[in-house]
Amino acid sequence: MTARTRPLAIRCTDVEVQYTIRSHRPLLRDLLRGNPPYTTTVHAVRGVTLDVAVGESVGVVGHNGSGKTTLLQAMTGVLPLASGELLVRSLPTFLGVKAALRPRMTGRTNIRIGLLAQGLTRDEAEAQLPAVADFTDLGPAVDLPMETYSSGMRARLHFAIATALTPEILLIDEALAVGDRTFREKSAQRLDEHRSTAGTVMLVSHNLGEIRRSCERTVWLQEGRIVADGPTDEVLRAYEA
Amino acid sequence: MMHPSDGPPESETETDGLFAVGRATPLGTYLKDLWRRRDYLLRVPVEDLRVQHAHTLLGNLWLLLNPVLQVAVYLLVFGVLIELDRGVENYLAFLTIGVFVFHQTQRTVSAGARSVVANVGLIRALRFPRAALPMGSAIGQLLSFTPVLVVMLTVTVAHGHTPGLRWLTLPGLLLALTSFGLGAGLAAARANHTYRDLENLLPFLFRLLFYLSGVLYSVDHFVDNEALRSLFALNPLYCLITTWRWALLGTDASGLVWVGTIGWPVTALVGGFAAFRSREATYGSGA
Repeated sequence: MTARTRPLAIRCTDVEVQYTIRSHRPLLRDLLRGNPPYTTTVHAVRGVTLDVAVGESVGVVGHNGSGKTTLLQAMTGVLPLASGELLVRSLPTFLGVKAALRPRMTGRTNIRIGLLAQGLTRDEAEAQLPAVADFTDLGPAVDLPMETYSSGMRARLHFAIATALTPEILLIDEALAVGDRTFREKSAQRLDEHRSTAGTVMLVSHNLGEIRRSCERTVWLQEGRIVADGPTDEVLRAYEA
Repeated sequence: MMHPSDGPPESETETDGLFAVGRATPLGTYLKDLWRRRDYLLRVPVEDLRVQHAHTLLGNLWLLLNPVLQVAVYLLVFGVLIELDRGVENYLAFLTIGVFVFHQTQRTVSAGARSVVANVGLIRALRFPRAALPMGSAIGQLLSFTPVLVVMLTVTVAHGHTPGLRWLTLPGLLLALTSFGLGAGLAAARANHTYRDLENLLPFLFRLLFYLSGVLYSVDHFVDNEALRSLFALNPLYCLITTWRWALLGTDASGLVWVGTIGWPVTALVGGFAAFRSREATYGSGA
């Protein structure tokens, strides 16, 4: 048991998350044939207990399907909990690779809409816009429709929008992996700034170098359970072994 | 926790100010959050309209051309080829109002139904009250209705119905139409999120309603039985179409129809909003 004096940003107590997947066959056929399991329940997170303090930066590692993304999504409140309790200081912002904004609109319009959606007024959004556009490093491409972007460009745009308002708690799911080296350095720098202003970060990544660079603490998930939780060096040594 | 005497004080301070995620936001806070996003609600439909006809030659001229062409087709088919206009004066104006009011309602409901499913990316990426999506799409439909309204009023005036006092009710009728579409759209968005089947079903439901709402014919003329006629007031679309014709053509609208014109939008809005909010937390899960 670690004694902590810093206030907590996230407290997970025995969190379990299950979600149901529809079978690919139509529902009705199963119902008529009396096959009850026409859906499959996936126990993605099976009892995670975890405290994250304000200003902490925690890496999350584990193989594909170990429940990393599900855990992060549960923290944003998008997925209902099957059991347990999940407390947060403020609602976290989730940053993932797959999230698409509006493909037919330009990068600039997407930034504007993203800022407005997060509750800025029109004037505030217009004032923020140049800085966010600049951070994306998209150059003139910021005025092209987003459907013309590469996945790396999309990720940059998205990272810039999601971090523009410096949310107190930021959950990042592989989003930095797609950018090029310059952008990765830039985003790592932004995360450092974020932490220095008491921002909390959880970072899911298969890039262990990135986790070493940004996180002092790492959690290792396996089949929905925590198998190790401690200083990044120690946990990663065990993980890589 | 092992030693109750010295455990609690520390844990009390460190969990101070935490709250459970996924817990429903109180109604007041939710509405305040929506109000804070009013700029967003107006911006998105405008941008959507801007890209909507991006790959066409005539661009947004289509917003005006569409209703004009529609009236032309109806004039040709119903006015010249088939003589369905028995018992109705100024059949073209009568038909135009019926069709446009009906289609506007249908479009608002359908757009609302798709709004959550189509924006799963936005939902997963950003935190905002999800009702902003159906509301934004309803506002978008309202904006694109403007040129349709212009065509509708032109046809009415061209038929010799000069603007009168009843025109003053038009903003109210427009509000009733949009509120009903939004309310039904909120409910449909929730249902569509769980069962995508609804998206396939809606067009047929509306086609059925189309024939039951007196769009093409005058219910008063075909249905003599008073009791049967009052049954039509159970159809929100019939109520809306009838009161729109009352305002523009000077035709009759019974008290029951007026109750429906006001009652249905209010019921749909309150019920739809409650239904939508009850599943708010799950919209990102993309079942």
